[in-house]
This record gives sequence, structure tokens and C-alpha cells, in this order.
Amino acid sequence: MDFAMQTQLGPQQEPISAHGHSHWNPYANTNGTSLAIAGDDFVLVASDTRQSDGYSINTRYDSKAFELSNSSVLAISICSADGKRLYEVLEQRAQVYYHKHDKHIGTQALAQLLSNTLYGRRMFPYYVFPILAGIGSDGRGVAYSYDALGNMKDVTHIAYGSASALVQPFLDNQVGHLNQRGADLDARLDREQARKVAIDAFTGATERDIYTGDWLEIYIVDANGVHKEVRELKHD
Amino acid sequence: MSIMEYNGSAVVAMVGKNCVAIATDKRLGQRALTVDMGFEKVAPVTDNIYIGLAGLATDVMTLHDRFRMRVNLYKHREERTIEPKTFSNMVSHMLYERRFGPYFVEPVIAGLEKNGQPFICSMDLIGCINYADDFVVAGTAADNLFGMCESLWEPDLGPEELFETVSQAMLNAVDRDSMSGWGAVVHILTPDGVITRELKGRMD
Repeated sequence: MDFAMQTQLGPQQEPISAHGHSHWNPYANTNGTSLAIAGDDFVLVASDTRQSDGYSINTRYDSKAFELSNSSVLAISICSADGKRLYEVLEQRAQVYYHKHDKHIGTQALAQLLSNTLYGRRMFPYYVFPILAGIGSDGRGVAYSYDALGNMKDVTHIAYGSASALVQPFLDNQVGHLNQRGADLDARLDREQARKVAIDAFTGATERDIYTGDWLEIYIVDANGVHKEVRELKHD
Repeated sequence: MSIMEYNGSAVVAMVGKNCVAIATDKRLGQRALTVDMGFEKVAPVTDNIYIGLAGLATDVMTLHDRFRMRVNLYKHREERTIEPKTFSNMVSHMLYERRFGPYFVEPVIAGLEKNGQPFICSMDLIGCINYADDFVVAGTAADNLFGMCESLWEPDLGPEELFETVSQAMLNAVDRDSMSGWGAVVHILTPDGVITRELKGRMD
């Protein structure tokens, strides 16, 4: 069995193999974009809600970000079926942890669990590049970014999905303060600044990326819990 | 790897208040190998028009020479300097002439019309012109540049503000693209002349 992950971006036909037959692809690219920004005492996660299939829109409102029972948020991208299943698997494991240990799983432990879950499917991966965000044991906002095989990294800002190439450099500049002379590279944004950056990133991405748009879900996670905001984006 | 990505490039042009900016990176690569960090991708066509070419470097060099010849001939025949819009149509024509064996380039043109009006446009490799009133991008870092420009650009930026905006767009875009960067150059065209500046950025 050889399931190849297709990395094509456009809605083209599958390439015909040497035999002249097209090969069935187990993965469906539903596109859309997600980002996360970590602050000093909060973390922000934002995802658009458009789900596409090539040039067609499946639905204008399908969530790509999910709240986990330990007050973390998981944001998915690329294959929404795998992303949803990944969320279910993680949530069930988090609940088992709660029943066993009589306390909620911490974000850092959940992050490692996610990495192990992804690598567990090394030979038939979840075609998802997830972002896991929550409050760390030190009270600081924390965001973990992963590739589909579970390589994880603690980041202050990350964007995945169809408009990641558009959004990531903007986050590098505005959140990471890169290429700015005299800027404090360790300084983190406050809630309002992060929210503005996320909204600007998505309005820009919606303009130039056909797969991003419709609605934007913004989650802000802090010591008080999870707060969700829904904003409209351009529908074209 | 596509032939348009073989050498690597990043080109952007932006409109300001009575001024335009055009910027490019300076890397010349051969796939993963960097061969030159001072490769000029933008050239003056007239005092008021600059053209930047993204794509295959050999075609970039050849076309710069061909444009120079055609613009000089135009000047002899018309006894006047060519205007930006006319020049862009000339470029489009030259590219479409090679419809079934194209030059592997994506031009970006920035200029000031006779009346001082800013002008920018970009084209695909077979000459389809895209006139824009805000910004145009090309090269391997095009997506990155789109994201930066769409969020950083606003209308009616003065020459100094435009310079800062286009510089931040270029530097942060190429830092996420392995095939472009290694220095950048920005030209700001104003009615009083051209201001050229080199950008200090990551050399990797």
C-alpha cells in the first residue's frame, strides 16, 4: 500500500500515471488558513471557515478550530476530515487522562501527546498541519506548531494552510519584529494588538487567496478560559 | 522544479502619492546553489520607467538588452521618449510573439506618466498585462509578497513612507523564500528624480 500525500495547490486533475490510469487519492484538500499568536498571558488562534474542493465551495461555515476540554485550542488545516478525526482522538485521550488522574491534562503534555499521535500514523499520516495553543504551566501563552508527521515546535507566531505563504511573513514582521531596527525581539503583543494583527492578516489573505474567506473564528485563551469571536470576511 | 524557479527572484512595485517604487532581490541561484549576490534584475528604461524581470536569468539578461534596443529605436523614429503604458504594451507584444516558445520571465514595470501620474503593471510570461492601482508582485516569493503588500500597503504614501513600506514587504517576504533574497535594491521614482537605496537584510 502506498498512499502518497499530494502537495498540489491548484484544483488540477490528478496526474495520469505511466499506465495511463489515474490513481485514487485518499486525501481531500479542503484548504483554508489558520494562525496562532502567543502573548505573555494569553494565546490567540484564528481560522477562516471556508471549506473548498478545487474551485468549488463545500460550505462557507465549517470550523477549523476546536476547543479541547483542558482549555486548549486545536486549529487544523489542509484535510478537514483528518483534522476532525485528530481532534476527536485528542479529546478522547484528554478525557481518559482526566478520569485517570482527576485533573485536566496540561497543555505541554497534550502537545507531546499530539506529536506522538501524529507520528503513530507515520505510514498513513493525518494530512493535517495542526496548531495547538493554550496556557503553559508557567502561565504564559504557548503555541505549538506541527507538521503532518508530528515534528513540533514552540512558537510565538505561526500560520498554516492555503494562505500560509501570505500570512507567515506578515506575522514574522508584526509579531516577531523581524527586519525592524531597534525592535525588542522578545517583546510579545497584547490582546488587542494580536487581535488586530490576526484580523489584518486574514483580510489580506482573503483578498489574494481564493480559498480563504467567508467567516473568521478568533479564539483567545487565557487563565479565565476560552473566549470565541466570529467575524465576517469577504464571501467572494 | 519549474523553469521559472530555477534561478529564484522577488520583484515588487507599489504606487504612492505622485511616486512609484520598484524593488527586487539580488540573488542569482542555480537551484540550491547561490552563484551571485549582486545580480541586477531591474533596469531603467527611460528616466521615468523602470522594468524588473523575475524568472529565468538568461531571459532576464536577454530581454533587458532587447528592450534597450527597441526603446532606442522608438526614440529615433518617434523623436520622443516612450511612455510607460506604451512601453508595457511593447513588452507584452514582444512576449506574445514568442507564444509557443516563451521567454520564462514575469515583468514588473513601474513608471511616471507625462502628467506625473504613477503607473505600474505586471505581466505573465506570454504578455498578459495586469494593470494595478496598488501593487504588483512577481517571482518565487510572489505569494509572500502578496501577503506583505496586501496588509502593509495603503494609498497615498509619500516617497519616504513608500520606501519603508516596500522595503518591509520585500525583506520579510524573501526571508521566507529560500530561492530569493541575498540583498535587495529599491528605486523610488518621483517627478524630481530617482532615489536608489540598497537594503540591508539577511544574507541567507
